[in-house]
Amino acid sequence: MSNYYNMPKLPTENSPKVEIFVDDKAVMVPGDTNLLEALKAVGIETPHVCYHPYLPVSGNCRQCLVEQEGPRGRMLVISCYTPVAPGMKVYTPASSARVKNARKATQEFMLVNHPLDCPICDKAGECTLQENYMEAGQNEGRMRPEYGKNYHGNPEHQFIDAKGQLRGGKRVDIGPRIFLDEERCVQCDRCVRFMRSIAGDEQLQLAARADHTYITTFPGEKLDHEYDLCVTDVCPTGAMTAKYFRFQKRVWLLSHTPTVSMDDSLGANIWLDHADGKIYRMMPRCNPEVNRSWISNTTRLACLEFGKNRLPAIDMSAIKLEGKVAIVAGGECTIEDLAAIKMLAEKTGAEVFGGTFKKVGSPDGIAMSGDPMANRAGFKLMGLADDNLADLAKRASEFQTVIIVNNDVIGEGKGAADALKKIPNRIVLGAFDNETAKMATVAFGINHWSEVQGTMVNSLNMIQKLNAAPTAPDANLQPAYAVLSALAGTQFTSAFEAFKKAGEYASVLAGLSYDTIKSSGKLLEGGNA
Amino acid sequence: MARVIKQKPMNWVERLYVFECLRGLMTTLKHAARGLFRYEELPTISYPEGQPEIRNTYRAKHRLMLRPDGTPRCVACGMCAAACPAHCIFIEGTQSEDGRIEKRVMRFDIDHLTCVFCGLCVEACPVDALRMDTKKISFEHRTRDEFVAHLSDLIDWNPADYPDDAQSQVAPGGTKNKQALETWGLEVK
Repeated sequence: MSNYYNMPKLPTENSPKVEIFVDDKAVMVPGDTNLLEALKAVGIETPHVCYHPYLPVSGNCRQCLVEQEGPRGRMLVISCYTPVAPGMKVYTPASSARVKNARKATQEFMLVNHPLDCPICDKAGECTLQENYMEAGQNEGRMRPEYGKNYHGNPEHQFIDAKGQLRGGKRVDIGPRIFLDEERCVQCDRCVRFMRSIAGDEQLQLAARADHTYITTFPGEKLDHEYDLCVTDVCPTGAMTAKYFRFQKRVWLLSHTPTVSMDDSLGANIWLDHADGKIYRMMPRCNPEVNRSWISNTTRLACLEFGKNRLPAIDMSAIKLEGKVAIVAGGECTIEDLAAIKMLAEKTGAEVFGGTFKKVGSPDGIAMSGDPMANRAGFKLMGLADDNLADLAKRASEFQTVIIVNNDVIGEGKGAADALKKIPNRIVLGAFDNETAKMATVAFGINHWSEVQGTMVNSLNMIQKLNAAPTAPDANLQPAYAVLSALAGTQFTSAFEAFKKAGEYASVLAGLSYDTIKSSGKLLEGGNA
Repeated sequence: MARVIKQKPMNWVERLYVFECLRGLMTTLKHAARGLFRYEELPTISYPEGQPEIRNTYRAKHRLMLRPDGTPRCVACGMCAAACPAHCIFIEGTQSEDGRIEKRVMRFDIDHLTCVFCGLCVEACPVDALRMDTKKISFEHRTRDEFVAHLSDLIDWNPADYPDDAQSQVAPGGTKNKQALETWGLEVK
């Protein structure tokens, strides 16, 4: 498989507008994209399986057929691979029975050997085939029960079930994090294209030919990559399922909170999927500028730990500030937290330190910047030091009180920050009961970043919004900005109050509100990141 | 379509009331006399000594059907819980050890205090695992928790109680279990 595929050109705000005729009606569409995206821009959804906006176009599913007026009359073309040309005439199912029939036939053909196990399929509810069936299919069943469905996957995985039906490949352990179901696979090769073009590590392959095609790895190899869980996102069916989420919850029972991951300074846009106050999974939230549709396994699997090993909320009177105060802020502090830290520093004359002892890597070009200090650009924007923890360790004896906010300096420092243990009054504000919390004189539980509203500035100097998922293990937990501002004397009652305060420290934030920052973030103009 | 029912007007004897009253008392007296001398013919039953006859289609306590090897048929798809208007079904699934079966049920609780016995869960089940044909109509327990039927309660039934139902006979202890087990034990990889 050495086919060369083109990445689709997606419409942008600056795309030139051209006039095309859809169902004999003139519409203005973006001119530098494919027909599928152009139709989407004017509100016409085209069902598709293999096409993905951030994967090279393969055009093998034939589900997105439209009719186009050409020199030899009206022909069926796939809209995902047809570039928009000015004046072209396109016919959708709204006017063309031929397109409607063609899509319906494609849909029926795709479902011929696809098992009808939607009730036990983890993808059910968000499955492309189900959506397309409602959109383009709705065929009456023409399957003869005496023949049943045919299994054409890997011959090594065949078995005969209790009804005498030939089946196979229901639970292929394709990698440490993923199960493959060969019956459900429709050979759209999205996962293959993802691994080849995005991950850059061609671990998946289509084996055999024609009707016998199946997805496999190289002999003896496993699918194991930092981004391999993204293949479960791009998979339009339930063929690739993540082991960590498999059978955990039916997807229609999950609520989704759009937020931003705070474990990396790129700030990958994510959906936190939760039910009954528990986070079940993390899904990428499409943001063309930041992480497109990808998030790394590190980011994604971290969500399983958010509710565990948490610090309890205690009474705020336990926090007493004595003598000279040092405040240590971590990368998970939002702009709101930093505003409260700055306010507290002004009030008490404390010195603010920031930074991380974790290794700072380099961007991988997909969805990680490699910098574990998520809000580093926000620190700079607020005029706070973002890399002087070593300085603090040297001067630890000067301080009588240290307030550590969202920063596991002891655990991550591995001895580098042990000088802090000599400070008599050690106050730790954090979500987790980590090593720093264990050495504290007062360990004060606060909300994790998944449970707070706020903003962060990512490494691209975009300000992005965090939203609070209702998953806090204890209702008494407060966000860091609320605790810190209460220490400073005037407590912020809402995140936006803290954000307004941040506007006083950083002028670029002054004119903004949570409504003017879009869900995909806002590029800051005069930032210094 | 509304139907107008014209009632026969009462004649003057009926309108006098006292004769009709006596006629009604006569009926009561007749039944009382029958209860004393010929009680077998009474249309009522003396519950709980006498038990009512319950039809097969009556929606009574639930049970979970079993495969020939004794595992519940339930695949934990949650369709019954989704269909349940009273939200009284709680299901958790996990991976099955049997390679031919993908998902098995780990927790299946029905809260019979909340259940409205509508039967929608039975209709929703894609694998015919849930039935309400146990004919058990009385629920008496000491605590609220005991009204919640767990997986172990739901699979605890005897095929001999369902002699006419072929599907029940497939379960262990049923007449067709041996035959079904042979088919069940086909080649597995």
